[in-house]
Amino acid sequence: MSNVNSSGGGFREGGREGGGARRSKFGRFGQKRREVLPEEPLDYKNVAYLAKFVSANGRIQSRKRTSFSGQNQRKLADAIKRARMVALMPFVGRI
Amino acid sequence: MCLLDNREVRKGWQPLKDSVLAMFTKHGAKVLSGRRWDERRLAYPIKGQQRGTYLLVYFSANTQVLGAIRRDLQFNESLLRFLLVECEDVPQAAYEPEAAFDINTIPSDDAPPPPPVMSSVEPAESTGATTEI
Repeated sequence: MSNVNSSGGGFREGGREGGGARRSKFGRFGQKRREVLPEEPLDYKNVAYLAKFVSANGRIQSRKRTSFSGQNQRKLADAIKRARMVALMPFVGRI
Repeated sequence: MCLLDNREVRKGWQPLKDSVLAMFTKHGAKVLSGRRWDERRLAYPIKGQQRGTYLLVYFSANTQVLGAIRRDLQFNESLLRFLLVECEDVPQAAYEPEAAFDINTIPSDDAPPPPPVMSSVEPAESTGATTEI
């Protein structure tokens, strides 16, 4: 039998005193889901709103950062890709 | 949504719009609404054009004719880009009459982009703390 828990430096999963779970970087109990409001739909024409979910390099942010549900995250990605196709949003960089 | 070449738009908006809408009706589609959406600077140049005019068309058609419509739109040289997407309902604003606009007010491609709007920041009241620069 070999001891799997090394005593070296670094973070050990669940290795806190008392066996507590590792605290998430974005909140202990998970994030609240971001709602899609009727006045701000995830539409390819709503460029100003979509631009909030794009990084400085033009990449679509992850669910972890947008806090959208899986369904709305897919709508967001589709809307951004459509906006790129009709030159409403750039493929690289920010507006 | 159709992205139209501003060089063609300057020749006349209504004839150009009618020619684009005719591509839909030609194949049996029923045009519910066709309005000028916006004229704006493009996110990237297309065919050397920095600006373009967007035409937003709502139409209902048999899905079998979409291929023919798409092919006609591709052959039209006054269209820089187009996008056909399914739409569940037509917004009420689409039925409103199109706002009149003057084609002479379309800025040229050489015009510099408008300066960014800077929000005015009021000077903070002195709180006694000093900041060393």
